[in-house]
Amino acid sequence: MRAATATSASAPVSLFRRWDIWAWVGLILLAALYPLSDPTTARLLVATQIFVLITLASNWNLIGGMTGYVDFGHLTFFGIGAYTVGILMTRSKEIVFAPQLSFWQAWVFSGLAAMVFALLLGAATLRLRGPYFSIAMLATLLAMREIVRLLTPITGGGGGLDLPPELNRIEEYYLSLGLMTLSVGLMWWIRNTEFGLSLLAIREDEVGAEMRGINTTLHKTTAFALSAFLTGLVGGFWAWQNTYIDPDVVFFEPRNLEMIIAVVLGGLGTVWGPPLGAVVLYGLREFFWNRFLFAHLLGLGLMLIFVVLFLPGGLIGLMQKGRAIPLHELLRPRPAVSQEEEA
Amino acid sequence: MSTPILEGQGISKAYGGVQALYRVNIALYPGEILGLIGPNGSGKTTLFNALSRVIPVDEGRIFFRGQDVTDARPYQMARMGLARTFQVVRVYKKMSVLENMLISRSWRGVRAWNVLRPSRRETYQRAWELLEFFRIAHLAHMPAGALSGGQRRLLELAMASMPDPEVFLLDEAMSGINPALVEEIKERIQEMRQHQGKTFLMVEHNIQFISDLCDRVVVLHQGQVLAEGTPQEITENEAVIEAYLGV
Repeated sequence: MRAATATSASAPVSLFRRWDIWAWVGLILLAALYPLSDPTTARLLVATQIFVLITLASNWNLIGGMTGYVDFGHLTFFGIGAYTVGILMTRSKEIVFAPQLSFWQAWVFSGLAAMVFALLLGAATLRLRGPYFSIAMLATLLAMREIVRLLTPITGGGGGLDLPPELNRIEEYYLSLGLMTLSVGLMWWIRNTEFGLSLLAIREDEVGAEMRGINTTLHKTTAFALSAFLTGLVGGFWAWQNTYIDPDVVFFEPRNLEMIIAVVLGGLGTVWGPPLGAVVLYGLREFFWNRFLFAHLLGLGLMLIFVVLFLPGGLIGLMQKGRAIPLHELLRPRPAVSQEEEA
Repeated sequence: MSTPILEGQGISKAYGGVQALYRVNIALYPGEILGLIGPNGSGKTTLFNALSRVIPVDEGRIFFRGQDVTDARPYQMARMGLARTFQVVRVYKKMSVLENMLISRSWRGVRAWNVLRPSRRETYQRAWELLEFFRIAHLAHMPAGALSGGQRRLLELAMASMPDPEVFLLDEAMSGINPALVEEIKERIQEMRQHQGKTFLMVEHNIQFISDLCDRVVVLHQGQVLAEGTPQEITENEAVIEAYLGV
């Protein structure tokens, strides 16, 4: 065998010598300084909403974009997180005979509850591939909304739950900024590890990944649980910020759709696509909302169709061809062994 | 002969009403190069899929290094030291050639938390060595999907070699590769067998390649073992000639 060529690309590049992470750190620092400029409460709320959308999109991208399991019911975990915080802050005395918890105490459980549910659910649904998984998850979301509506003694049913109001916009701003930093930072780190490479391998060819020694069940379950944990935390935060939850506002389909559109618009499976897509989507949503109040959902739907048809690689795909994977490729039924090989 | 390193005992597999394999016995010994031939649809790839645990078998047992692996999963087989290529090449088209190699690294001595860090320097080193050997190092940063059919075959061979496995299952791995490189790969296979004790089971339609390289040949026909012997015995076997030529 000939000796290896010593090129600059022949060795791993230190993660901290990457320009993209420093650009991200710079943006986070600027965002952290923003409240010092004495912005209005409305502006802080807008920024918080953008951070929440970026976080949701980034979390969804871990299972939908990187692992290739297009989850049409990811909002289930948001709902579990929201209701965990809501119940523990208002009903823990009646249900578990424990003292009512503060937000910070309840918040920890929001992520954990979503993660435990994801582990149980994933044991069944992650055996499905392509569109079958997507449909199973959508059904889970719809079922969960009805379960929450029926469990009135615990969840308040259709009447919902009122949470103790805090209304500290600065605190909310920093908390959502922290969540977003954690989520996007984690995606960047995962993408640069062997775990991230394995997830991409599973996305492209699960049988092939198994034959390369990758325990696909462990990898995709971990990604699913981690994604659910972070989404549960966002749900818990959102419930506290909103001070009121009911099945319709928590399991609100457009929110589910928005996190998917943000990822597809930015670039499926890329680290920076979801944040970029979320910011652009938020801007477009506000545009539609202001000009076409009664048809803004139609606008979002048309946008998803446009992106899928004409911008399959998303905005990142425009800049780096081939980096993002089109949605339709992930939704294609994928048999374990190709028909030719079965012959 | 010593104990087989990979053995299938009485393997049967049916797809609906089609009996792809029926009570097939096959044994692969350490350091051996075994050829598996047969007409199209004879069950060669199904046997490969069964031995590498990609598909479950209906009947029979599979042993790897004496251990019953009939219920093992493909990733466990890979970690135990079995690598394979596929008849329809399986590379990660959206990822670069180098990333394809990094994914295929060895899992020996890897603890769960090790995957939470970037690929190690030694992994890169081995990847580059193999890319150089298979003459595709210049394509390292290209998406694998942009490679030609032959280049993808070479990449898949390089990926299979990446974890330094003990047993290679090569499913028509030479098709689409230029003859000069096939000769070089043939030498490399012989060298790996002689100096490193590697074992090979290969499906090939190129009878000359099989004759030059293999110690033994197993012929499959309609899901059953038709004949077994040295390449010379096989080429002179009337039943084999009849199965192939229908005369």
